[in-house]
Amino acid sequence: MFGGLESIGSSVRAGFDWIGGISLLFGRACASGIRRPFGIYDIFYQIVALGVRSLPLATMMAIFVGMALTWQFGEALMSFGAKNAVGSAAGLALVRELVPTIMALTVGAKIATGMTAELGSMKVSEQIDAIASLGADPIKKLVWPRLVAATLALPLLCVYGNVLALGGGAVIADSVFDVPTGYFYQTYIDELYPMDYISGLVKAIAFGGLVGIIGCFQGFQTKFGTEAVGISTTNTVVATSVAILVMDFILTMIFLPVG
Amino acid sequence: MTAVFELRNLYKAFGENVIYEDMNLEIEQGETFTIIGGSGMGKSVCFKLMIGLLPYEGGHVLFKGQEVADMNREQLRELRRNVSMVFQGGAMFDSMSVLDNVTYALREHTKMTDEQMLERAKECLDMVGLGYDRGIMYRMPASLSGGMRKRAALARSIAIKPEVILYDEPTTGLDPANIERIGAMIQKLQKELQVTSIVVTHDMQIALERSDRVAMLHEKKFPFVGPSADFRDHAEPVVRDFIKGVYHEDQDE
Repeated sequence: MFGGLESIGSSVRAGFDWIGGISLLFGRACASGIRRPFGIYDIFYQIVALGVRSLPLATMMAIFVGMALTWQFGEALMSFGAKNAVGSAAGLALVRELVPTIMALTVGAKIATGMTAELGSMKVSEQIDAIASLGADPIKKLVWPRLVAATLALPLLCVYGNVLALGGGAVIADSVFDVPTGYFYQTYIDELYPMDYISGLVKAIAFGGLVGIIGCFQGFQTKFGTEAVGISTTNTVVATSVAILVMDFILTMIFLPVG
Repeated sequence: MTAVFELRNLYKAFGENVIYEDMNLEIEQGETFTIIGGSGMGKSVCFKLMIGLLPYEGGHVLFKGQEVADMNREQLRELRRNVSMVFQGGAMFDSMSVLDNVTYALREHTKMTDEQMLERAKECLDMVGLGYDRGIMYRMPASLSGGMRKRAALARSIAIKPEVILYDEPTTGLDPANIERIGAMIQKLQKELQVTSIVVTHDMQIALERSDRVAMLHEKKFPFVGPSADFRDHAEPVVRDFIKGVYHEDQDE
């Protein structure tokens, strides 16, 4: 019995250690980031590396989520004779919830694991120590640009994803349920208020920040050897997924009463 | 001679694994000092303590009389500008060309123009025998051989004109010709740039022929420190056996 309690206790402690480590790295990254030089070139380089190269995955994800959700809603609404309301239902679900969350879970996880693998390999091959030994700050050089880039890239990908999801939904609405594209678009847009877009964007910004900091933290935490890089990368997928879902719930609790 | 680095009563441990206990070491300005000792005993840790990459739990690490642990961000930056480290595997930045690697510290610490940095990079690559006329500056580290990577890493370390260069196993994994070349280069750089060179190595040729003094790490301390000439026929069996490569079964325990 005590063994079980001890195990729970050590897991809880490891969890707090992890949250503490992430918070500390976030604080240090922000503190180093506001000092000159701001590393604008590095940030843009990372936005291209993380954001632009994620466009194919983001495109596929958004189109298929838009199509699948519209089909599901269409089927359900058709049984009530309300298939014309498919645009309203799909719009709310996609913009508020599904596009930011699924974008973060797919594209965000890809971005975070990429960061972990890159920084983990740098840690194992002593490149992070080499940066410090040359008098530079590894957190400023490596974490800050990735954190900012992920925080900016994910909302931009979400805006792009919202447009594509609308397009995907319109194709299904028209071809499967005979709801004209113009009508689908009108009902989709009419149902959305500014706060819906804001809540979607705030979620994407928060998810981007989480993805950036978790990806970097796990990379910096990598121990020795190439196996450690694999372990860190796997842990990153689990950690980002759980963190995104928890953050999604917290932000939904905050935004729903406001909306 | 004045001491560049002084390590006094140093205690360093990773969890329950004690690396140094009451360790003392003094390195003088302008000398080539070699540290030898068994694998995994913590020779490289010494370098990381010297430039503040690792904290220590007790004792003192002094750079020109100043405690490394008490240094603020700017002082640490200045320390690392003056003390350059060549890592075991080179630790070249994969995503940057050789030129960007070599000029990295110049961009961090100086206001040199791109042309000035290019000239300095050429000078350094020439000094380490890599040259610059075969497009090597624009190649990525992954396309270089092990020996070339180590020399490029050395060029990166000397670009900022440091006072002290720390070489972490500079000849590991190299063929005999490259070992000889790196050994000669350490001596050449020490003479041409008047730097203090501290070398961690298993290579007895470098330890005995290329350095002024040698220290052997044994039982978490440096009990044997002296001129390299005295080490070849050291009175202590432990030192003699290590240099001659005599294997004892209890080494595995």
